[in-house]
Amino acid sequence: MSVKGGPLQRAEGRLLRVTSFDFTRKIARINWFFVALVVLLGGVGALSLYSATGAFDPYAKRQLLRLAVGFALMLAIAFVDIRIIARLAWPLYAVSLVLLVMVLKFGSVGLGAERWLSIGGVAVQPSEFMKVALVLALAHWFHRASWERIGNPFFLLLPLAATLLPVVLILKEPNLGTALIVLAIGATTFFAAGVRLWSFALALVLGGLATPIAFAHLHGYQKARILTFLDPARDPLGAGYNIIQAKIALGSGGMWGQGLMHASQGRLDFLPEKETDFIFTLFAEQFGFVGSIALVGLLCLIVCTAGAIALSSRHQFGRLVAFGIGMNFFLYVFVNLAMVMGLIPVGGVPLPLISYGGSALLTTMASFGILLSVQVHGDADFTPKREGV
Amino acid sequence: MREHQPDPPNPGALAHRAEARAAPVRPPGTPRDGAIPRLETVRVTAPDLARRATLETSRRRLLGAAAGFTTLFAALATKLTDATILDPVKPPPAPKNTFSTVARPLPTADRPRAMMVDRNGEILAVSLPTAAVYADPRQMMDRADAVRRLQNVLPGLNGPALLAEFTAPHREFVYVAREVGPEQELRINDLGIPGVNFLPAEARHYPLGRIAAQTIGAVDIDGHGIAGLEKSQNRRLREDPNPLRLALDVRVQAVLRDEMAKALDDFQAIGAAGIVMDVHTGEVLAMVSLPDYNANDFASAVPKARFNRAATGVYEPGSAFKLQTVGMALDPGLVHVWDRFDTTHPIDIGRFVIKDYEPMDRWLYLPEIIAYSSNIGASRIALIVGKARQRAWLRKLGFFERCPIELPEAAMPLVQSDAEWSEATVMTVSFGNGIAMTPLHLINGTVALVNGGVLFAPTLLYQDPATPRPGSAVMQPDTSDTVRKLMRDVVTHGTGTFGRVPGYFVGGKTGTSQVVRSGGYRQHTNRAGFLAAFPINAPRYAFYVMLDSPHANALSQGYSTGGEISAPVVARTIARIAPMFGLLPVTDPAEKAAIERQIDLPLQPQPPPGVIALGPGHPYPPGAADAPDDLSRKRTPAASGHALAPRAPRRYASSHASDQGR
Repeated sequence: MSVKGGPLQRAEGRLLRVTSFDFTRKIARINWFFVALVVLLGGVGALSLYSATGAFDPYAKRQLLRLAVGFALMLAIAFVDIRIIARLAWPLYAVSLVLLVMVLKFGSVGLGAERWLSIGGVAVQPSEFMKVALVLALAHWFHRASWERIGNPFFLLLPLAATLLPVVLILKEPNLGTALIVLAIGATTFFAAGVRLWSFALALVLGGLATPIAFAHLHGYQKARILTFLDPARDPLGAGYNIIQAKIALGSGGMWGQGLMHASQGRLDFLPEKETDFIFTLFAEQFGFVGSIALVGLLCLIVCTAGAIALSSRHQFGRLVAFGIGMNFFLYVFVNLAMVMGLIPVGGVPLPLISYGGSALLTTMASFGILLSVQVHGDADFTPKREGV
Repeated sequence: MREHQPDPPNPGALAHRAEARAAPVRPPGTPRDGAIPRLETVRVTAPDLARRATLETSRRRLLGAAAGFTTLFAALATKLTDATILDPVKPPPAPKNTFSTVARPLPTADRPRAMMVDRNGEILAVSLPTAAVYADPRQMMDRADAVRRLQNVLPGLNGPALLAEFTAPHREFVYVAREVGPEQELRINDLGIPGVNFLPAEARHYPLGRIAAQTIGAVDIDGHGIAGLEKSQNRRLREDPNPLRLALDVRVQAVLRDEMAKALDDFQAIGAAGIVMDVHTGEVLAMVSLPDYNANDFASAVPKARFNRAATGVYEPGSAFKLQTVGMALDPGLVHVWDRFDTTHPIDIGRFVIKDYEPMDRWLYLPEIIAYSSNIGASRIALIVGKARQRAWLRKLGFFERCPIELPEAAMPLVQSDAEWSEATVMTVSFGNGIAMTPLHLINGTVALVNGGVLFAPTLLYQDPATPRPGSAVMQPDTSDTVRKLMRDVVTHGTGTFGRVPGYFVGGKTGTSQVVRSGGYRQHTNRAGFLAAFPINAPRYAFYVMLDSPHANALSQGYSTGGEISAPVVARTIARIAPMFGLLPVTDPAEKAAIERQIDLPLQPQPPPGVIALGPGHPYPPGAADAPDDLSRKRTPAASGHALAPRAPRRYASSHASDQGR
């Protein structure tokens, strides 16, 4: 009976808990609006990278290649049943944790910190994987939890440990910025899962009390790093210089921008890290306030769509995963934009899908694949299959 | 326990519900027609309710988080608006205290700014390596303490000002001191203040202090020339590390300055300018401007001291310019030394009355006009020359343009335009009024009158004597010879007798001009100048000294004129420097008499036999300006009772007479 796409079918789709999925139905359920937004964002990124050098080499070409791979990865993951993903949550978390430990033991030192791990010749940043794995693991833990159980402090011990362990490991790299982002992802997942608000208040108080003690036990250079992170002006030739040039680039964009390829600050190499963390300023100088606000709007729309996917999920796992992935993306975007605008200290956080870089791009695309899978399998029934009555 | 219904069970029921959906009255979300959807008819169990409650909680919290996201995005948008439109940060147009200052090519130890030496190799300017101390206040632990400790090493620091700079927001680079010596550098380094660092720098030193300070000029704190030769030769000094050899001779410079300073003090003049020039090359051996300043302390020099009166000051040359008038009249053969001119009465023209300082009330011979400095006589000669030839001559000798010397400060002369150049101008310019120029202009034009008629571009750079300097011949050598003899008469018989130097042969011309004020000349205030060439029989050096607004006293016999004020300065200078040039006084009477015969010109020379001189009855030569009497219509020679234009054919001595004849 070929009634696919007819009113009956659509009604059925809305009303039934669709617990089994065939391929064509999955295609229909993919949030193509979200896919279009992601493609648009990737295009903006490639354009920005092209404008950084005025040529496809070396950035734009490789970025386009990665975008294509990432796009395929995203769609492939979108078809994976969310229940399979849920079963993989803890194993993925365990692998990420092992990688984080390995990066401390064997990682290559770059820019004064061990953050990269070379796997088969490809440099990867395990902390990027951990962001997604943590979301999955926590969502899995809280998926079946009742309101009462979540209220039980002992129920929270394991997820708390699961969050703090990678945070500590990333801190040791050291990469305070990413550690704080991982912590924020964990905390917001706790929040969305329904952990009591007083727990957060308690955590804040305890954290506030513990910070000076922990700080006192740090080495001098570690203290200096933290202080430099908090106040980049301590490092004038590094971060402070970036911020000043970034502000100048934003300012010279004005209302309509200097036009494509007319970014003097960016093109004349006044702007350091213009192809990675500070790419937004390069974009802003060329397209001005109008272009920048459109880009911010696009990023906001992606976050909102992720939120809508979270709300549309009829199971807690999907909802928490979608929320966590949206949160992850949002934190990337917000920290990066706030950083280049000088609202917060420089943290070395790229702008997802715009900045040049493989690890973050592929992780983001993979997480978007999971997000789409949540959308596709929003009605999945996690009830264990039982025979008969 | 509940049992989940297999689906989809009943297409008919679905169709029914589809119909029900089409009914328009149902509010969204409510059940249709009270019918309980079959597929939703599940037994709701406690875990189900719990799950729904959890979902509901997460839904509420998600919405709360969404509100948070929105707020944060709004904050981003606000900041973006602020950064791009409302208050954009513009690139600093010319960063001063930022790191780009460092990017400017600072002089470094491996290629210091070249020395300047005088023609004998004496060092006039030299760069010594020093260190500049700067600080990044953000790296300091205790800024007030840092200032205190720096003050211990550098007591001259302005502590409060430095602290204010350290504590100003966003300061990343503050100069603590621009020039510290090696010992201080070591001591500051030993303080160990975080954020205090050193940049290699160099300091320009002028070992001779005030000697030629304005001429040498100055460099700014970064070692870039900003005045004088330091500015004009900036590129040369930076690119070529070999010493730059100047034409200046510090011995001459020092003697001239010494004598001028004495006169300045004696006569309480407000300023003075002096130049010594080599007449065969146009090299400036000395250039003095008083008051001056210590070149090592340019910053605290007052503008009056920085002002180079010799090259930048523009003054009326006064009677010294009469040499030009006779030169332009003698050269084309319009007049001869035996010609006489009517100076019996002042010339009244326009709003001027041309008078003589010491009226002779007779027809003066040309040497007398120069020696006694007769304004009326010079005016009569100028009338014969006429406007066109006068202007052409002055232009040819460079009085109409900026002196081509290596000083950025060299000034333009003040010259009336062709249209303004009236008959009155013709006459006043003849004795150096109504035209203003720098002392450098005056001496350079006079050099051509005494060196055989060659005009050079004046220069402050050493010229290799092996390669003769190109000049342009602007007159016949005869004319120059005659002018030199006329200058000798000034010193032997005329207004410049105080320019005599025992044992030496000096020729000169006094030049006293009144000080211009708005609308006219100031009474009892003048500029006293003396122009000289020496040895006048075979000139090697030209001198010009001018004192501005001297006060007459017993030393000057109560006069404030060039002959009494400036001529002695030149004479004393010549007496002191001539031996340095290997010129010894002539003591042998026979030699002395031979030289005197060579340069002798009687004040009242008689024309050769058969030549009719200008004079009473023969006031105009052929080639004189058209109707020169029109120019002096008030008192023409005819009016004074002499016949005009004799009918008898005359012979004129000059070989140019035929060229100029009508």
